Amino acid sequence: MEEVIKIYGLAAIGKSNGWAVSGVGISIVFSGLISLSFVISQLHKLLNVWEDPSKLQKMFQAKKSVFPSLEDESVKAARAALTVSQKEVIKQYALLRLNLEDHFPLSRLLYLGIISGLKDPHENLNQLLKTKIIRPDKEGLFTWDKTTFDQIV
Amino acid sequence: MDALFLDFFHNTGFYLCDYRNIIMICIGLIFLYLGIVKDYEPLLLVPIGFGMLVGNIPIFKGLGLGIYESNSVLHYLYFGVTQGIYPPLIFLGIGAMTDFSTLLARPVLMLLGAAAQVGVFITFLGALALGFDPKEASAIGIIGGADGPTAIFLTAKLAPHLIGPIAVAAYSYMALVPVIQPPIMKLLTTRKERLIRMEEPREVPKREKIIFPIVAFLLCCFLAPAALPLLGMLCFGNLLKEAVVTERLAQTARTSLIDTATILLGLTVGASTQGDVFLTKDSVFIFILGATSFGVATASGLVFAKFMNLFLKSKINPLLGAAGVSAVPDSARVVHVVGLREDPTNFLLMHAMAPNVSGVIGSAIAAGVLWSLMN
Repeated sequence: MEEVIKIYGLAAIGKSNGWAVSGVGISIVFSGLISLSFVISQLHKLLNVWEDPSKLQKMFQAKKSVFPSLEDESVKAARAALTVSQKEVIKQYALLRLNLEDHFPLSRLLYLGIISGLKDPHENLNQLLKTKIIRPDKEGLFTWDKTTFDQIV
Repeated sequence: MDALFLDFFHNTGFYLCDYRNIIMICIGLIFLYLGIVKDYEPLLLVPIGFGMLVGNIPIFKGLGLGIYESNSVLHYLYFGVTQGIYPPLIFLGIGAMTDFSTLLARPVLMLLGAAAQVGVFITFLGALALGFDPKEASAIGIIGGADGPTAIFLTAKLAPHLIGPIAVAAYSYMALVPVIQPPIMKLLTTRKERLIRMEEPREVPKREKIIFPIVAFLLCCFLAPAALPLLGMLCFGNLLKEAVVTERLAQTARTSLIDTATILLGLTVGASTQGDVFLTKDSVFIFILGATSFGVATASGLVFAKFMNLFLKSKINPLLGAAGVSAVPDSARVVHVVGLREDPTNFLLMHAMAPNVSGVIGSAIAAGVLWSLMN
């Protein structure tokens, strides 16, 4: 009859692949419970969105404001590059703009700049657009953003 | 006539009795004492204790009385243990009783249930080192899961000849949770840590509670399909409870069904501890390893809770780590009591239920993993 030799200690663990089984086992238990815990932590958010899909839109909008677009960066750069004299010119345009409606055609402001004898009116208007002091109203006209103007000048 | 009396006497327990039967009967009486007088897990210890008395009545082999005789009534009842039928039924009842609200309110506590399963795998290594084969070592390791039905289920699948000692060890240590855990808890935590107060958990809406068992079942069973019989029944039971429309089924699962399964399981497991089969060197090792397993599981939960506190803004009371062993609800109750000793106004029971129930899920996954790795 063949005698079965029992081995003990670390040799027995190694022979039975014990370290690997334990490592894999504990990893699976942890991955299972970590993934379940993650899903549960998001569950109430998912259910809220399911109930009111507009919340999803709001979430994305909020994210958009957190991460500024390239356009925002260029606006910041344009504002930062303004010289003192350019700021003075902008102040003069602010006075001219008082003669206009809230929504005005850009050509009207250009005309007022020319007849008032302001230097480089086209370039100055371009500056106003770049710094978003003047913004298109999406209906072909433009508006004067007082908040931005106050911040810059 | 003398010969007739003599013949009858030779068939009585007094004549057939063996010292091993006497030892097991004494252990059975201790179980009954602990269950009835000390109120330690009476629903388990009383059936098992009485089962030990039943199983250790010395009998004449061949009459079809013993649990290991194929034509006996006990053997048929024991079929539910050897084939792993009773544990899933008990899990169904546990699911129908369990409220997962605290877990849903603070899911990060689920990690404590995972950490406590380290005890299972360390004991597995210990059992291998003591010369048990890998299947036996897996069955012994699962004692650290502190979950009787899970231990019996896995043992029935991997090492049926060890069901008796493993079941008795698992249930004994579960009953002794109030004795085993507090010293380890005190040793591994400072008073300052034990005084940490937990944040009030958020109110969990019903729909989350209904969705949870479905999500948990799908996620865990896709990851560890072998956990299906236990986790499937646990989640199904919980769905019956939370769905409200199936309240009648949930009521049956958490009362009559679980009670029936517990009675049959406890009695037959107890009866399987016949002295000649039970009192072996292996059983002694199993008891030693079981105690180690419980200790390691408790310690790993506590240490992991302290580790989590290094990263969490809102600190958790590390005592909760001890509730990661799944002895529901005893270990949660022990955490609560130890917390109250430090600060009588710090109520931890509700919070401790979260790692406690995640320990049930964790031990079922661990059993599933061991089962699939050993096949």
